[in-house]
Amino acid sequence: MSVTRTFLLELHCEEIPARFLAPLSEELAIKLNQFVAETLKCPIQRRSGTGADWPLDLFKPFPSEINPSALFSFSYSPRKLAWLIEFLPVEQPDQVETQVGPPQRMCVDEAGQPTIQGQKFAEKWGVPFSAVRFEQPAGKKEPCAVVTITKAGRPTADLLLEALPGLIASLHVPKAMRWGNSEFEFVRPIRNLLCLFGGEVVPITVDGVTATNTTWGHRLFHRQHPEPVTITTPEAYEAALEAAGVVVSVAVRRQRIAEQLETLAAEIGGRVVADAELLDTLAEIVEFPKIVRGEFPANFLELPKEVLVTSLREHQKSFCIEDAHGALLPFFLTAANRVDDPAGFVKAGNEWVLKARLYDARFFFAEDRKQPLSDRLEKLQALTFQRDLGSYHAKTGRVVALVKNLAMKLSNDEEHINRALEAARMAKADLRTLMVGEFPELQGIMGGEYLKHEGAHEEIWQAVKEHYRPIGAEDAIPGTPMGCLLSLCDKLDTVVGCFAVGLIPTGSKDPLALRRAGQGIVRILWEQGWALSLTELITAALGVVGAKATKPVGETTEALLAFFRDRVAYQLEVAGYAGSVRRSALAAGWAELPDLKARCEALSAFADDPRFASLAQSAKRIGNILKDEIAVGDFDGAMLAQDEERVLAMRLRGVESSTDQGSLLAALADLAQPLEAFFNAVMVKCDDLPLRAARLSLLHRLRLAFLRVADFSLWQ
Amino acid sequence: MHIQELILRLQRFWADRGCLIGQPYDLEKGAGTMNPLTFFGALGSKPWNVAYVEPSRRPADGRYGENPFRVYKHLQFQVILKPSPAKVQDLYIESLEALGIDLSKHDLRFEEDNWESPSLGAWGVGWQVVLDGMEISQFTYFQQVGGLDCRPVSAELTYGIERICMFLGGYDNIFDLVHGEVKTDAGVFPVTYGQMRQREEFELSAYSFEHADIELHRTLFEAFEKEGWRLLKDHGHFLSAYEQALKMSHTFNVLDARGAVSTTERPGIIKRVRDLACGCAKAYLEHEESSSTDSTEDTDLKSRVQGGGK
Repeated sequence: MSVTRTFLLELHCEEIPARFLAPLSEELAIKLNQFVAETLKCPIQRRSGTGADWPLDLFKPFPSEINPSALFSFSYSPRKLAWLIEFLPVEQPDQVETQVGPPQRMCVDEAGQPTIQGQKFAEKWGVPFSAVRFEQPAGKKEPCAVVTITKAGRPTADLLLEALPGLIASLHVPKAMRWGNSEFEFVRPIRNLLCLFGGEVVPITVDGVTATNTTWGHRLFHRQHPEPVTITTPEAYEAALEAAGVVVSVAVRRQRIAEQLETLAAEIGGRVVADAELLDTLAEIVEFPKIVRGEFPANFLELPKEVLVTSLREHQKSFCIEDAHGALLPFFLTAANRVDDPAGFVKAGNEWVLKARLYDARFFFAEDRKQPLSDRLEKLQALTFQRDLGSYHAKTGRVVALVKNLAMKLSNDEEHINRALEAARMAKADLRTLMVGEFPELQGIMGGEYLKHEGAHEEIWQAVKEHYRPIGAEDAIPGTPMGCLLSLCDKLDTVVGCFAVGLIPTGSKDPLALRRAGQGIVRILWEQGWALSLTELITAALGVVGAKATKPVGETTEALLAFFRDRVAYQLEVAGYAGSVRRSALAAGWAELPDLKARCEALSAFADDPRFASLAQSAKRIGNILKDEIAVGDFDGAMLAQDEERVLAMRLRGVESSTDQGSLLAALADLAQPLEAFFNAVMVKCDDLPLRAARLSLLHRLRLAFLRVADFSLWQ
Repeated sequence: MHIQELILRLQRFWADRGCLIGQPYDLEKGAGTMNPLTFFGALGSKPWNVAYVEPSRRPADGRYGENPFRVYKHLQFQVILKPSPAKVQDLYIESLEALGIDLSKHDLRFEEDNWESPSLGAWGVGWQVVLDGMEISQFTYFQQVGGLDCRPVSAELTYGIERICMFLGGYDNIFDLVHGEVKTDAGVFPVTYGQMRQREEFELSAYSFEHADIELHRTLFEAFEKEGWRLLKDHGHFLSAYEQALKMSHTFNVLDARGAVSTTERPGIIKRVRDLACGCAKAYLEHEESSSTDSTEDTDLKSRVQGGGK
């Protein structure tokens, strides 16, 4: 086994925006891995299988004899991007190459002596003429001069020195910047490079900065220590930086933050209002994690919980603390980028800022309630939803029309329907409130809160409050049927309206998040079990969009059908059905979700039945036979000649009279054996034309019976 | 710390680090960036360091002097360093220490915040600087100004003067800040921000939200635009034309606060300001290039000293 060493590269920059840290780290890791695999011919794998984190067990001894490949890992902090490769060979393996030269007749004269040309070929590759062989290589018509050259592998350090600057410069930076006099572009200015291979510096240069074996720790550390930190070996890196105030591992920072959050919340008898995204953010914006607990005046607790949680999260990147019943306590937790808070300034400062923010929020909450929410309805005319589709006022009108249409299908309680219409009318009014102007993510929630304060019916304010849900794949659908109906109609109008004016998501481009809205529609229908056909919903919504559409209705409908079919397919996947169940059920119709769900359930229950494999084979044969038949006439049972086909026809009647999916499938499963017998014994395309027609129509009816549940030809 | 003490310390600090100390420009504007010392200074290749205070008006932020945190007009302390020095963050941190902020006891963070001014055709990337959870400065590497690439790149540091004073003194109301002290034979009289400015806040808020004549402002906007293009096109005068762009910008802000600009109208109006500002930037650069190629080293030195402001 060849000699290996550990490689370490650190780009030390001015503060890199948190959102770019992981993508940049990942990208260079991939490029480094390619370099190791292709240039050094060394297999490489991630050190721990835990994702993008610098492993928690970094630098624990890792027995190299059980590890034939190099191991990579990486981590980041606000000012650092660092990559590590362990067990990297110090040399490239020797490269054996075969070189083909001129034909033999030109290299050797009639006396068997080397010609000038032959000698030159040997010289070119640095071998004596005696090392030249004559062979006929593939693709040549005669024997040629051939030499085998062994190129000594080059030192890894040299190869890294040549390759790294290009790899770094090739990183994809979405919002790149220039600085100073340079034309170099990167995410933020690069101020230092640390590049070690074992104990040796690899002195790469990027934009005028040359790598050394030193780097910088925490800013505050260097207010006392003007000299940079020397890193003698990659193995010493993490500890040396921790001593200089930087925890390099983002996973360690996250873990320490989580522990402190829990402890500090428990100390005052509460628990943290969980927010995984905020936890990630805090771990990404500090180099040394320290959680500070502050207080705010208890009278701010009069504000709705959502307002407090949002204000604390958005403005101060702070966590809220709640009691066992979910009520907030007048405390918050936030991260400081330092070891301690010796004078209490960090706590006092954050409390001061938070008070100012909450003062604003309370001002908005009071101002907004000075006039009823309905006063904003007219102002929605000045708020554009989409250029072609008009204002939010126009959108509200469309949603009201859709709610009216659907509510009457789902209910015949007139009061209930009127409440649904009122909720639809008020749904968007809060977009013109001060609070939603300040915190757009509180849309819906504030409308609901204000209506609640005005004494609206609970069904109405609940529906308005939750009508944006589900906000993502993790979020639940609205908790009330009226909320679901309003959410469904709002999203339906958004999706169908946008398609009608040509705003259709393509590839990775979906700026209006229509796929998410479409998925929300499918989830609501799926989970509520409403017997509303998606094709009818599309038609209804297109009717409401009416003349605002800029694309032909036929074209739009086709695009919407494809779009919703994909959403439904995804829903089946999320619901956990097997591939065969999904494919075959979907192909037999997907627009009515309760029906589709029942078919998928029934199919899943039969999925392991071996008769289905046979049925699938037969279904394929039927499909092939019928493929070329243009018209299939009515079925005439009296024409059938053989026992096998008469049995099949009899069983078919049983299948056709089954009403529920379960008994239908049981009956279909029973067809497997007769079908096999039929295909073994009966020649469908016989010369007797009337008989042939009868057999074809029998198969046709069989196929129709199958398609009531699934297209079995897709069952595998 | 008194407001005037904070300003004096920042001016001393940056003057000692090789900045010219400039003055506010005597036209209404929304931010220190709009001062020609920055707008033109950030363009072209000549080195340029300048620092100054800029009173900045945001009509829509007016609260009649009743809100303890928001005001119609606030003070920005603006620093331009061109090209951006390698140690620019360290310099900034030293300036905080010069204000008496002992960083060994505070939490300081640079959080992503990219700056953009659609009416100046300008954008940059950078951070808001957060001290103990409070945003105290904006830190930007200019990438474009007036629609033109910045080569070299300037660093722009903007300190929110009132904010920093409130924060350092633990004030809960901006109007309680002390601007400075008047000393007379009769004694020493501290003068508060409220005494100096609260009535002004009230009247200017009332003007922006209630009394400003909408039709007059629409007319003014058109007139300033016409005047600006006339100066630029007929005479090649980018400085006087730029003043017209500043006036357009403020007039737009008043109309906006008055609720006279619809959302659909807004981008078009901002574009008209931007077009004039970009025209001025282009004319300025052309002028700079022709004067540095036509003339001797002497002129070059002169314009280097005069920089963008002229």
